Amino acid sequence: MVNRKMKQSATIAFTAVMALSLAACGNSNNNTNDGAKNNAAPSAADSGNAAATTAPSDKKVTITFQNIYPDPATPAYKMINELSEQYQKDHPNVTIELDTLNTDQQKVKLKTQAASKEVPDITIVNPAAQMKPFVDAGLFAPLNDMLEQNGLKDTYQEGLLDYYSFDNNVYALPDGNNIEVVYYNKDLFAQAGIAAPPTTFEELLQDVKILKDKGITPLAIGEKDSWTGSFLFMNILLRTNGGPGFLQDVLDGKKTFEDPAFVEAVEAFQQLVQAGAFPDGATSIDANAGGNIFKTGKAAMWSIGSWETGAIDASPVAGKVGAFQFPTVNGKGDPNEFMLAPGSAFAVSANSEHLQETKDFLNYFASEYPKKQFELKNAVGIGQKVDGDLKAAGYSDLAVNIAGLFNQVKGGDLAFDNTMNPATAQVHLSSIQNLFVQKMDSAAVAKEHQAAFEANK
Amino acid sequence: MKVLKVPARTIAVFILPCLLLYVCLVFVPILVSLYTGLLKWDGLTTAEFIGLGNFKDMFFNDPVFWPSVRRTLLYAVASMLEIPLCLGMAILLNRYLKKANTLVSIYFTPVILSVVIIGQLWKTIYNPTSMGGMLNGVLVSLGLDSWTHNWLTEPNIAMYSLYLVSLWQFFGYHLLIQYTGVQNIPDELYEAAKIDGADGFKADRYITLPLIVPIFKISIILAFIGSLQAFDLVMVMTGGGPAHATDVISTHMYNSSFMSFKYGYGSAIATFLVVVCLIFTGVINTIFNKLEKKYN
Repeated sequence: MVNRKMKQSATIAFTAVMALSLAACGNSNNNTNDGAKNNAAPSAADSGNAAATTAPSDKKVTITFQNIYPDPATPAYKMINELSEQYQKDHPNVTIELDTLNTDQQKVKLKTQAASKEVPDITIVNPAAQMKPFVDAGLFAPLNDMLEQNGLKDTYQEGLLDYYSFDNNVYALPDGNNIEVVYYNKDLFAQAGIAAPPTTFEELLQDVKILKDKGITPLAIGEKDSWTGSFLFMNILLRTNGGPGFLQDVLDGKKTFEDPAFVEAVEAFQQLVQAGAFPDGATSIDANAGGNIFKTGKAAMWSIGSWETGAIDASPVAGKVGAFQFPTVNGKGDPNEFMLAPGSAFAVSANSEHLQETKDFLNYFASEYPKKQFELKNAVGIGQKVDGDLKAAGYSDLAVNIAGLFNQVKGGDLAFDNTMNPATAQVHLSSIQNLFVQKMDSAAVAKEHQAAFEANK
Repeated sequence: MKVLKVPARTIAVFILPCLLLYVCLVFVPILVSLYTGLLKWDGLTTAEFIGLGNFKDMFFNDPVFWPSVRRTLLYAVASMLEIPLCLGMAILLNRYLKKANTLVSIYFTPVILSVVIIGQLWKTIYNPTSMGGMLNGVLVSLGLDSWTHNWLTEPNIAMYSLYLVSLWQFFGYHLLIQYTGVQNIPDELYEAAKIDGADGFKADRYITLPLIVPIFKISIILAFIGSLQAFDLVMVMTGGGPAHATDVISTHMYNSSFMSFKYGYGSAIATFLVVVCLIFTGVINTIFNKLEKKYN
């Protein structure tokens, strides 16, 4: 009798465990099914779009907003928090959950989430080649319909959305449109007796030596995050190539990496390293810490995107900083051509459980974005048109100066990893990082690039 | 089994929940990554089956792979060499201190700290002289200026700097294991040995060593597997740089999968890592089984 009872309960326990563990194993499957359902739903909802957006629904909704504004000292952090709070106040049923990460962490997290098709409702992507694999995998929702609402589309600068468009669909809304400039600390330049910022590469090398002799770090960089060195290197390549389009030519098969322009750029970059332009141990400093070397007045120059303008104005060196265009290299190139950084952009998950609410929120967010940034004195380099005069609104001379540079832009290139596929880009990034610690044969560096490009075509 | 007087079926039922969980969380992923290792796949779009293509690339065409294997194995050897040191220390502590617990706890502190904290701490210690690095500072104040280095960014030195941090961190961990082992050896044995004339070093040789072998084995295996999987410390301190100079197998796998979008290739590396772990665990087990037999 006892034995039978035991058997019975054992069987029940066994079945329960089986069911539970099967459920655990099959969990991800369920999610993708839900996703497919949601995918189909919006097309039906779209027709009644206007009604759906105006009528406040009471459905409790939590929108996850993955973002890359982690530093509470920066205007961008305040922007995203204030806008989210405002929206939650206006829409009590909506909760915005911020998933705030560093740039590199966010890239990895998104990639991991994408592999299991669990992209957050709103996330951040980079333009063109970096974004393409995600779009090809069907992870992002097209935003065309949402851009038409409230005239949002017209606020963006001409052509900017093209970097985020595939097959005539816009998949993400950029947070900025920036150029690479060289910021310099006027006090430190004066201390070293340098009268004017350099206009040629030779002058730059000269200034580097003078600063170095005075015990001042010439150029700040945080090369543990290897995109920083690449961004600077690409600026040199833009000059030695006599203009933009080198990587595109390589992609089109018109040039190879062993082209003299590329070798010359590597050579020039190595001269900078050899002259001691960068902080000691640069390859173990992460990007934020690298920037802080400049922002705390310990380095004289910093070559970075104009997105840092607001942060510099909020740092201890505010008021002492100017900016100049990257100099010509060996007499080549046009200073009015810049490394272009058409922002990072907000994309919406195609599998979002509440796609419509998410789009509505992003529409609000993107519409309010320029005003808020302007208010927070962070409007330099945003990709949308803003009403208002910078000078009158109390912006710094640096901001006005940078805004002036935007008007001189004649064209330029995108960053290496926005143009080439990720595998080739990784080889490039590590190859440039290596130049910081080892003197290399420039031709060999070019060859390494070409080999990687061909292997990963 | 028979001793338990419980039917095998009941035992099976009790084991089952854990077993299933284990299968789901450990074996299924391993099998899945075995399979994805055979694909040319970016992790997002459609995959293409290429058989052993990834393994061919890995063994013959990847300039980063073999150096990272070499670094990993060197790391493993270094961590295993640390264990005898821990054992010696444990024996000394046990013999000369009445209550060594406090001391052992202090040695154990680094193990409690998160690797990220350890990494940041040692990064500041290793900083270049110009950024006020403590190690270089001490060297300079001793007049040893020529000994100063950029510990984490000179390709020839960086990896050794990382080994040191890891050895430092896990010293207390293995010390604790060994110390507990030594303490558990009954005093009567030593007293009996003393009467027979075995004292001090002799007692260690003929009593402590044979009895500590199982504990020693655990430490060795933990140290070995732990260092094969070393990842977090490298990621925090150097990220595998400069230019792959500190890449180990796991960071190379991570970079391939997530940075280069070569998910299939990364899985192939993972498969290699699993196989290496299994082989070496087998080897270590065999060696120790023989040792145990010899002493018993």
